[in-house]
Parts: sequence; structure tokens; C-alpha cells
Amino acid sequence: MKALMSVGALIGVLGLLMLIGMIFGVVPSNTVRLVEGYMPMQVLSELAVFVAGFTGLSYLANSMGMAIPRFWQGVLFWTFVQTYLKFRIYPPIPFSVRAMYGVVSFVAVFMWVSANEEDWKKFRQPILNVLDANTGFHKALRTLYLILLPILIGGFSFLTMKPSVDEPIELRTVHPAPPASTKVHGKTYTLQTSQNPYRVNLEGKYDQAYSNKLIVEQGMGRLMAPNANPWDEKAEGYLKYVREGGEIFFQNCHFCHGDNLNGRGLHAFAFNPIPANFTDPGTIAQLQETFIFWRVAKGGIGLPNEGFPWASVMPPWEQHLTTDEIWKVILFEYWHTGYYPRTWD
Amino acid sequence: MGLILNLTNNLGEQVVRLTMSKFRVNVKASPIIGAALGALLISASAVGIGHAGDLPEGFAKGELAPAPPADMIEAGKRVYFTKCVWCHGVDGAGDGPGADRLWPRPRNFNQGTFKIRHTASGELPLFNYNEKTPDSGKNDLFDTVTHGLPGSAMPPWEGILTEEQRIQVLSFVTTQLVKDRKFTDKQSETQTILQLGTIKPAEATEDSIKKGAQLIVDKKCIECHGVEGRGDGNAFNLKDDWGFSIQPANWHKCWNFRGSRQDPYNVRNIFRTFSTGVNGTPMPSFADSTSIEDRWNIANFVNSLCERDEEGKPLGIDPLTDKPKINFVVPSAPVEGEISSDPENEMWKKQGRRYVAMGGQITHKPRNFVNRIDDIWVKSLYNEKSVVYLIQWDDRTKSIAEGKLPWAPTQVNVENFGVKEQAPKTGEEGSIAAAQNNYAVYNDAIGFQFPIKWQEIPAPFKPRYLWGDAKFNADILKWEADGSLRSFKGTGWDQDFEERDDFEEKVKLLKSEWKNGQWTVMISRPLKGSKDDYDDYTRFDIGKYIPMVFFAWDGHNGDAGRKMAVSAFYYTILQPPIPQEVYIYPAVIAVGVVFLEGWMLTRRANKKKGKVL
Repeated sequence: MKALMSVGALIGVLGLLMLIGMIFGVVPSNTVRLVEGYMPMQVLSELAVFVAGFTGLSYLANSMGMAIPRFWQGVLFWTFVQTYLKFRIYPPIPFSVRAMYGVVSFVAVFMWVSANEEDWKKFRQPILNVLDANTGFHKALRTLYLILLPILIGGFSFLTMKPSVDEPIELRTVHPAPPASTKVHGKTYTLQTSQNPYRVNLEGKYDQAYSNKLIVEQGMGRLMAPNANPWDEKAEGYLKYVREGGEIFFQNCHFCHGDNLNGRGLHAFAFNPIPANFTDPGTIAQLQETFIFWRVAKGGIGLPNEGFPWASVMPPWEQHLTTDEIWKVILFEYWHTGYYPRTWD
Repeated sequence: MGLILNLTNNLGEQVVRLTMSKFRVNVKASPIIGAALGALLISASAVGIGHAGDLPEGFAKGELAPAPPADMIEAGKRVYFTKCVWCHGVDGAGDGPGADRLWPRPRNFNQGTFKIRHTASGELPLFNYNEKTPDSGKNDLFDTVTHGLPGSAMPPWEGILTEEQRIQVLSFVTTQLVKDRKFTDKQSETQTILQLGTIKPAEATEDSIKKGAQLIVDKKCIECHGVEGRGDGNAFNLKDDWGFSIQPANWHKCWNFRGSRQDPYNVRNIFRTFSTGVNGTPMPSFADSTSIEDRWNIANFVNSLCERDEEGKPLGIDPLTDKPKINFVVPSAPVEGEISSDPENEMWKKQGRRYVAMGGQITHKPRNFVNRIDDIWVKSLYNEKSVVYLIQWDDRTKSIAEGKLPWAPTQVNVENFGVKEQAPKTGEEGSIAAAQNNYAVYNDAIGFQFPIKWQEIPAPFKPRYLWGDAKFNADILKWEADGSLRSFKGTGWDQDFEERDDFEEKVKLLKSEWKNGQWTVMISRPLKGSKDDYDDYTRFDIGKYIPMVFFAWDGHNGDAGRKMAVSAFYYTILQPPIPQEVYIYPAVIAVGVVFLEGWMLTRRANKKKGKVL
């Protein structure tokens, strides 16, 4: 038990040192990288490691006769959660969200310290001690609080009232409702019934089951399925169209959407809204191919107002590509990310 | 052979190429010479004179890494044809479908020429399939794939490909696609490795930086990198091994250093590049001619030039983009009286600057795939009459069109005059990389737009970022390097500007100067038009967020019309003086808290004494 707890304590201390080091810039903040797509799991497991660490620490302190009062345990843990949220997670969480987490973790800590009468008493005692101020130390502490509290609260309200030049928050709909049909290069496409003319089997029939077998494999790396190389000279039909779509993608789209279709292209850093990340399960994986066709053909300028058409630099691709080229690019995007397009049924 | 060809070029390039030839001899040399050279080196060491004294300071002889096993190469092929082939091509010749619209072009692996290494100039980079720790200094190619090459289209593959997959694809590339050299051939290849891990960096003291500043003059760094290190020294004549135009690094943008390894302010990266040179480019290794101490001094100086914040701290780097973090608000501070036209004036120095990221205009034809201006720095001040924007940006080339431009200043559709976008597939000769420095030269220019009547446009609606639209018009100011400053009304991306002479008399160009690779342009405009209404001109109301978009043109990049660099939407705001309530209310609140404390303590005391209230 003791050994186990010691290991826990060691982990806790190491983790804390690392976090503090990152905050003060001693330890580079990319020492343990948050990997995109795995971040929630990473954050949860990191927090679990910290909790284990704290348990160990508190056990060790107990057995050494230097028990940390329950009151301070609660305060410290709450402070830790706030620090972690503010400094560890990237992109930064806005203050309003952190405040929400703050309330939730406050309630959790409160429930923990008031789980039974004895615990609650232990938790309350330091507060009462200071309030009653029976000893000299507590008297000094009380005076300190009496002076500090008004200053802190006054200062905080001054900071919140001071006119700031923070970025205004504007919320944009990422996937606005599509129209029933769209007209591209003189031809009208009904979104509910149109199909990608290149998603075909070797007989030339529309066949999603066939193409699904040839897309890249999910999992780290997202590599092509064995024996399904679009660059194979003998590649025919679907795979050949994938290659053609890829050629168009890498002549036109990767500048923003990136070499790995993750929205991190050459020019992406300059633009807001940022280019869509197709590897994210929340983008093309959620959408029908015809929706993508509409979005690609009409571009940012063709968005309804909730999509901020004035800010998007997405080209209306009908100005640059033929309809066939657009369909092939879409085919490639699904192939390369390993997602199936959503169907209407 | 390359040398003879170069003699016909102009003098500037000749000097550079001649100095370079010493370091690059075995890159271009035929296999026979290479083998001979290798034999020479081996025999030299056999005789016993090849001890440390022969090697450049800080380097040590290393062993060639073992060849990767066949199954690893096979696995790497699968990675390559999923991820890499699109730019680097089927044979690794850097001629994939994406290549012709990229500058720099994707690496041609065939020659085995790699830029970022720990090995001596001309040698192959380190690659060892057994070494999977990033940034160990023992696996150059692995680090390149892991961190990408900032400033080029090569992204970081960490988090996308596993370590194993990165090693696999490198096994494939180094054995199958590097064709002219062999990573395992002891006859022709040597490894002389910079011992960066064991060399203690010299601290970046004032003295060290001062020495470095002198050394970059003595070592002639400034001939290419420019007097202020903005890469403007020899912007026209430098070519890489494949004959493509290449530009010296701009030391002020360390996040664009190819070898920055996602750690741009780390001085070790600069020390490494300076010690090993950049193969395939005119950047030589200075290891032979420069002591380790001097190399640190130079690295410290170069590092000190990289842009920093007001307190001299490194800029925050966004880990998602590896560029400085962006704040989309450009604040304008109030000043009393006249606004100085001198950027060094105290009022300007006090005001913080904002980093504005610029991407290529890739929405409408002619698209600008390669924008040579990728950021600008903006400051703003205002007084009771006008608001002034101080815009500074790095541009290696001062460009002023010769003679009159064939189009009117209001014309935006200039494709008929030869301003065309790069065709998708042209082959090397017609590629965008080959076109660099061969464009017709137009004017450098900067522009920005605000919505007209933004007061009536409910947020978040805005006139389109690209010169407004028919419904919401844009108020555009454009300065060109010929000295003109014009006011336009924009009504759409493909609509010619409407000229506004009456307003033009009121806008003022306070300063425009190109110096050592940097433009400084200061533009003043009235807070409102002649009347109090705002039908035609943007009226600036204090304390309101007003949308703003920036545009930049590099005349030597053939930029004109829509071929330009463009920013996202930013907001400008005239910061109001702090109102009195801000001081009063918190004081009232604090007093309230004091009362609350008093009440609580009295209550507690009474309760303890058993009194009932």
C-alpha cells in the first residue's frame, strides 16, 4: 500500500512540477503534446493521473504526521483544476467557460468535503477559527482577510469595468441548412437525389459498398488499404478517379485545407474562419456528398448569412473547376480521410 | 560545370557561387569524383592525420547508419503513396501534382540533397531507422518529417503519422527515391556530425550579441541577408541547385526558418544551420572558418533580431499554426494634438503593435498561390480630427513600376494585362518557382477597407472581405509605391473601384519609406467625411468595433489587382478615455464589502456570547 501510494505521490509531484514549469516557461509547453483528435481522452487521463498523485501525496503526508487539513485540500484542489484548465488546454478556453467549470468543480469539492458530518466539521473548523480569532495568529490572519477582501473585490470589479479591447465573440454556423437544389454550370442538382458520378464499381454502376472497401483505413496514420493504391498504373474506375481528384486537390485545395486535409494548409494561419478539418469526425463524415458538392461549388460567398459569407475565403469553385472535377475532389476527400459519406436513408 | 555556366551571369551572383563552390563540390560532383574524395578521406584517416584537428570545430566522425530492413521499406511505400506522392511525385523527383503551384518547390529526393542536417556541408543528412526519439540530434530526416518545414508547404506529421510510420516512409525515401547517392555506401559517403548535444551554448549577453552584430558584417552574411537581416541583400540572383530562385532567410521571422523545428526562438537551431550550411542552396557551412564561440555570437545576434513583444519577450507562437498568435483587434489610442509622422516618436513607441497575418488571395481569379508578404505590423493613434495607421511590413524588393501602368488605378480586373494565375500543371520550366523574379514589375502597395455605414449594419454582418458587395459598400484606401494614396468605394470583388477625389484631398500620406527590406507607410484619414452624415465615408465613432481588412501587393511578385495578399477580418477600435464611473463603482463595492464584513463579525460575536438578535 505504502509503495503504491509513494509511486502515486511521485507522479503527482512530477506532474505538478511540469505544470508549474510550463506556466512559468521553464519547461517548454510542448513537452507533452496534446494530439489532435485524442485531446479529450488525454486531458481526462492526465487529470486521473493527477488525482492519483494527490491521493498518494495526501496519504504520505498523513503517515508522516503532516496531514493537510481538509479545508486546504479542498481549496488547493479547486485552484489546481482552474490552473490546469487555464494553462494546459490549447486552444485556450474562454473565461466564461472556465467560470462554468469553476462552479462545477466548486460544487464537486463542496460535496466531497461535506460528505459526512465529521468531514464537514473538519472543513469548517479553519474558517471558524479565523472568524473567532481566539489566537494571535488567527487574529492577524483575520485582520489580513478583512483588509484584503475589499481590495481584491474592488480591484476585480475595476478590471471588469475598465473598457477593454478584447475580440468580440461572434458565433457562426459551420454547417448551415442546405438548399433543396443547386445550379452549377447550367445544370440543376437536387441535393436529395444527386449522386457522385464517380463513386462507381468496375461495371460503372453507383456503388458505395464497393468504394467503401477501397478507402484508407481508419486509425493512426490513415493509410491506404493494401492493394488499393490509386497510383498503381493498373488502377481503374473508382481508384483512378480518386487519384485524379487528389491531383486537383493538391493543385487547388491544400493551400488552406492542408496536405493531410486537416485544415492546416500554407495560408490557413491567416484566415478566420479557419479552413475546415476534414479529418475531424464533425465535418465531411457527418454530411452527404451532395451537401459537400453544394458547398464546394458555391463557396463562402454562397453561404447563407448564419455562415458568415462575408468572411469566408472559400472560393466558389464553379469559377475554377468543372463539375466533374468537383465530384472527383469530393471522392478524394472521402477516400483520404477514410470516411463514408452520409446517405439520405 | 555549374561554375562555368555561372560565369556568364552577373557579377553579384558569380561572387556568391564561387565562394559556395568550395563547400558544395561533392554535391554536384560525379560519382567518380565523389568516390575519389571518399577514398581520400578514408586514406587520410588511415594514415593517422584524420584526428579531431582535421574536422571543423564541434564536429566528430560518425558511422553510417545501417540499412533499414526490407519490410520497413515496403511499409513505407504505403505511407508514401498515401501522403507524400501528391507533392513529391511518383519517383520522388519533387514533381507531384501539387508541385508546379508551390514555391519553394517540393524536395526532389533523387540527388540526396537535404537542407536541415547535423552533418557537414555536402554530406547526407542523418537517418537511422533505430532512432525514434524526436529532436535527438541523431535523426535529421525524422525531425524534418516530425516538425515539418515552416514557411513551405511541408507540414509537421507528428500526430498524423505514428513514429513508426514516419520511420517507415523515410526508409522508403532514403533507399528507393534517393537515386544518385547511397546512405549506406562507405565508399562514397561520410558522416561528420555536429556534436550539438555536447556543445554548451554561449549565453546571449549584450557582449555576445554585439560581437555577433560585427561578425555578420565581417563574414559577409549581410551580402545576402541584408543589413538588417530581412533577407533583402541579394534578393534577385540566388539560385538553388536546380536553378530555381531562392531567397535568403529573413531573420526577423524565425517562425519561418525551415530548421526551426517548431521551436523558433531556440538559438541552437540557428547555430546548427550556420555550422552545417543548407545543402542545395547558396548558404555555405561556416564551420571551417568560424570558431564555436563566434558561431554562438552570431547565432545569438540572429536570434535577437527575431520579432519580439514590447517587453522583449518572444512572441507567443500558436501551436496549431506555428506562427505568432493573432489578436484580431487593432486598437487606436487617443493622443492630444498633432500626431507625429515619425515612427520613432515617443507617442508611437508607447503604442503597442499588432501582428496581422496575410494569406494569398485564393478565392477568385487570378489566385495568388505564393504571396511573398505573409504578415504586416499595424499601430494606430487618433486625435480629435483624424485616425492614423502606421503599417510596417517586410518586402525584400522595393518595386515601382517603370512608366505608367497599362490599367487605371480603379481597375481591378487586370487579367487582360497579363496578371494571370499559375496554371495547375506546367512542368518545372513553367512552374511558379521558375517564374519568381521573372514577373513584370508592378508597384508595391498596401490597402485597407472599412464598411461604409457600419452603424446601420447589424453585427455580425459585414461587407464582404474582398472589396465589399453591392448591398454593403466598402471604404477603401490604397497606397502604391509610386507615391499615390487613393480613396475608393468598393462594391464587389469583380467591380472596378469608384474613385472619390473629394475624400482624397483629406487623406494624408504622412510617411512612406523602404529601407533595408522593410516598408514603413503611415496613413492619416479624417474621422468623418465633410458633413456629419456617413453615406459615403466610414465615420469613426469612439469605442466601437469597426471591421477592417488589409491588402498587400508585392510588385516583384507580379502582384496587381486581385493577385495580392489579404488578411482576415480584423476590428479597429478607437479606445475611449476611461470614464469616471470605472473608478467610482469599484470603490463603492469595496466599501460595501467592508460593511458586510463588519455585519458578519458582529453577528458572529453576538452569537458566541449567546445573544439573540
